[in-house]
Amino acid sequence: MKGLVPLFLGVFGTFAFSWVGLTVIPNLQIGALNPQMDEEGTDIYPAPKSGMADRGRRIYAANGCIYCHSQQIRPGYAYADVDRLRDAGPSPRPKWAERRSAPRDYIFDRPVVLGQERMGPDLSNIGKRAPTEEEKPAVPPGANPPAASPAAAQPPPSTNSAPPKPPNANAPAAPAGSPPPPAGSSSAPPTNAAPPKPGAGAPPQSASPPAPPAGSSPAPSAAAANPSPAPSASPNPNGMPPVYSAAWHHRHLYSPRSMSPDNRDSTMPAYKFLYEKHQIGAERSADALQLTGADAPPTGWEIVPTYDASCLVAYLMSLDQSHPLKEVKTAEGAAPPAASPPAVPAGSPAPPPAGSPPPAPPKK
Amino acid sequence: MTPTADIPLKEPVISAAASDAEQLERARIDASTRVPVLMFYASAMVWLLIGTLLAGFVSFKLHSPDWLSDVSFLTWGRLRPVHMNVMVYGWASMAAMGTAIWLMARLCRTTLRHPLLIVAGIWFWNIGVLIGVIGILMGYSTGYDWLEFPPYAAVVLFVAYALIMSWAVLMFRFRRGDQIYITQWYLLGAFLWFPWLYAAAQAMLFVVPVQGVMQAAVGWWYANNLLFLWLGAIALGTAYYMIPKVIGRPVYSYHLATIGFWTYALFSSWTGMQRLVDGPFPAWMITASIAATILTIIPVATVGLNHHMTMQGYFPVMRYSPTLRFTVFGAMSYTVFSIIGILISLRSTARYLHFTEASIAYSHLGLYAFFTMVMFGSMYYTVPRLVGREWRYATLIKLHFWASAYGVGLMSLMLLVGGFAQGATQDDPSMSFIQSVASALPYLRGRTVAALLLTISHFIFAFHFGLMLFGLGRTSTVPTFLNPVDAEGSETHL
Repeated sequence: MKGLVPLFLGVFGTFAFSWVGLTVIPNLQIGALNPQMDEEGTDIYPAPKSGMADRGRRIYAANGCIYCHSQQIRPGYAYADVDRLRDAGPSPRPKWAERRSAPRDYIFDRPVVLGQERMGPDLSNIGKRAPTEEEKPAVPPGANPPAASPAAAQPPPSTNSAPPKPPNANAPAAPAGSPPPPAGSSSAPPTNAAPPKPGAGAPPQSASPPAPPAGSSPAPSAAAANPSPAPSASPNPNGMPPVYSAAWHHRHLYSPRSMSPDNRDSTMPAYKFLYEKHQIGAERSADALQLTGADAPPTGWEIVPTYDASCLVAYLMSLDQSHPLKEVKTAEGAAPPAASPPAVPAGSPAPPPAGSPPPAPPKK
Repeated sequence: MTPTADIPLKEPVISAAASDAEQLERARIDASTRVPVLMFYASAMVWLLIGTLLAGFVSFKLHSPDWLSDVSFLTWGRLRPVHMNVMVYGWASMAAMGTAIWLMARLCRTTLRHPLLIVAGIWFWNIGVLIGVIGILMGYSTGYDWLEFPPYAAVVLFVAYALIMSWAVLMFRFRRGDQIYITQWYLLGAFLWFPWLYAAAQAMLFVVPVQGVMQAAVGWWYANNLLFLWLGAIALGTAYYMIPKVIGRPVYSYHLATIGFWTYALFSSWTGMQRLVDGPFPAWMITASIAATILTIIPVATVGLNHHMTMQGYFPVMRYSPTLRFTVFGAMSYTVFSIIGILISLRSTARYLHFTEASIAYSHLGLYAFFTMVMFGSMYYTVPRLVGREWRYATLIKLHFWASAYGVGLMSLMLLVGGFAQGATQDDPSMSFIQSVASALPYLRGRTVAALLLTISHFIFAFHFGLMLFGLGRTSTVPTFLNPVDAEGSETHL
């Protein structure tokens, strides 16, 4: 070959072709999706995650959970993802998913953690599996769709009661702006809740909140079922917290192979460094782990999650893709093979034209 | 060892008759690249050893997860990205840049100007990698595959790269002779592709982040192109130089080489999305990548054929020349790597192999069996010319080769078979998930054995390289052959 010019042009041309073809054009197609909502502008999905859960995703990424856990469900016609049952759980064991994942499920995720391997199970819907506060034993696998599922993991009231505003303003506003439980407020209380052990003003504080939720913090999801202060949620045969509750996740993170005899082969590392060992103060911390056997701390001591651990569990509890999407068939009627192209860029009626990309998830 | 004079193990036939002036010029060019290239190699070697030890940790911890798990920066999920990034940016990129700069100077027949700027760039690059590694260990990994370094480390790497490569590219301006050799196409391509690729990925992930799943698309686009258009291109270019050079015979077909280069640039840059097969993406993206992966059979076939025909009749030289042995192993692995890449990207096999250890096997075939072996080969060729000494122990070279070859072979086999066992279990919804983990465990233990072999191999090589670096090589005019050259035997082969 002679001459640099053709070489340069070719080198640039081939690469530009790939760059435009694989990143720029797809970005035009699925890079500016809006949340889906029904005609009245309610029932918005997906919603940005709370501050704690958002921080939890960073902890999830930074500690390499992504290398073993996927968060994407492949279509049921070719893969077993939709049919697979979780290993743990009450007797009709929960399914991994009701439907495949779609680009819209991830629009607020940054970093997006689709995962590349399954040395551990898929976590797309792990939060949906959480038992709700008053020891509802398990989410009946059939009765999921709109009604039951958002209640499990997301802070439901605000999303639904938000006034039907123009959707673009609504989407970010619903969780971030409305005061009661979600993002804005959620980051503050857990900070106080993390070291509540001295227990000076504890009685009133830890006694009053457990009314509706269980945990000591009003954080949306981390508190979903923290059995220690609300003994009503804990009655499990062998002292195990209810499967997929926050307490269960904490214990699982702390000591993965202690969960059940079936779990001996789990290759998950223990994340003990996300937990602290304290001497018990006036009374036991609300969020102290319930450990048995070799993991149990000496008497007078307790293991409590750090703020990072609480965030991580809040994130896990927030993972839920069960909300139906218009562009994806839900599993009940066996998905036809043609269900594959999940991206309907401007097809869904409700969202406004995709001109303005949805805002990045709120930080903190 | 008294090798006969005529065996063209070192210099090509053409240059056997080269005049003293040419020899002198070559020596002058080599001398100008001496400091930067050796610094590249020395840095790469240090990162290689670090990365190898980390690989052992990662491999062992995967089947014995409670080992050293209580310290945050020793947790598996942080060591794994550190291992990967150390290997990709510390070892692979630095070795590649060292070889590339040396080749560029040789092929442009010009001395390297401003080597000190490049030396500064090397320091920056090392600092960048170090910052990134510390960042990951401290828990600031970004969570994007192959791009786990925090963005501030990327800035340092970028500055370093600009310092290094601007002069490498400028060598073109001062080149002599108007023929541009095949190796130079690949090198020039790699030099220009990498900054674009890296900048585009950084910009789309951190500066103006794309939404949702597009981040994963950009991430895999980056990762695959880094493997093909940066590391792979340099390795192919190196092979195109080393094989004809060592056996002293021109490349079989220039025409084939042209086809191979352009189809390589065109098709391999479109791969990547097959790693997201049937994920939450428009189906066309994934299908396009699968198609492109299948089409990479064209560059594989042409490049493979070209190398094979060049080598035809000269394969026995691999008995003697360490460079040739490593390079040909690498070039053959390129074919194996690509064919396995095609096989595991098809939707029908992805059903059993996606989300399993098989994808790790694929990465190691590309990064180790292909790229790293070619780099080892090139280092066996260049280092004696840079330090003016010959490799001291043929035995160590042989040990290095066999430990590497068996190590990476065993590792790939274990991961492919283990991945299939894992994936087949996961494809059957009546089996519990934990059974799939259990089915992969024996293979993961086997992989640790492979990691041990590779560790041995790398420490041997590092020791040998250290001897050379400190001037403890053999002073001789004859290169070190793997086996004693006996006159009649070799001559009949040649």
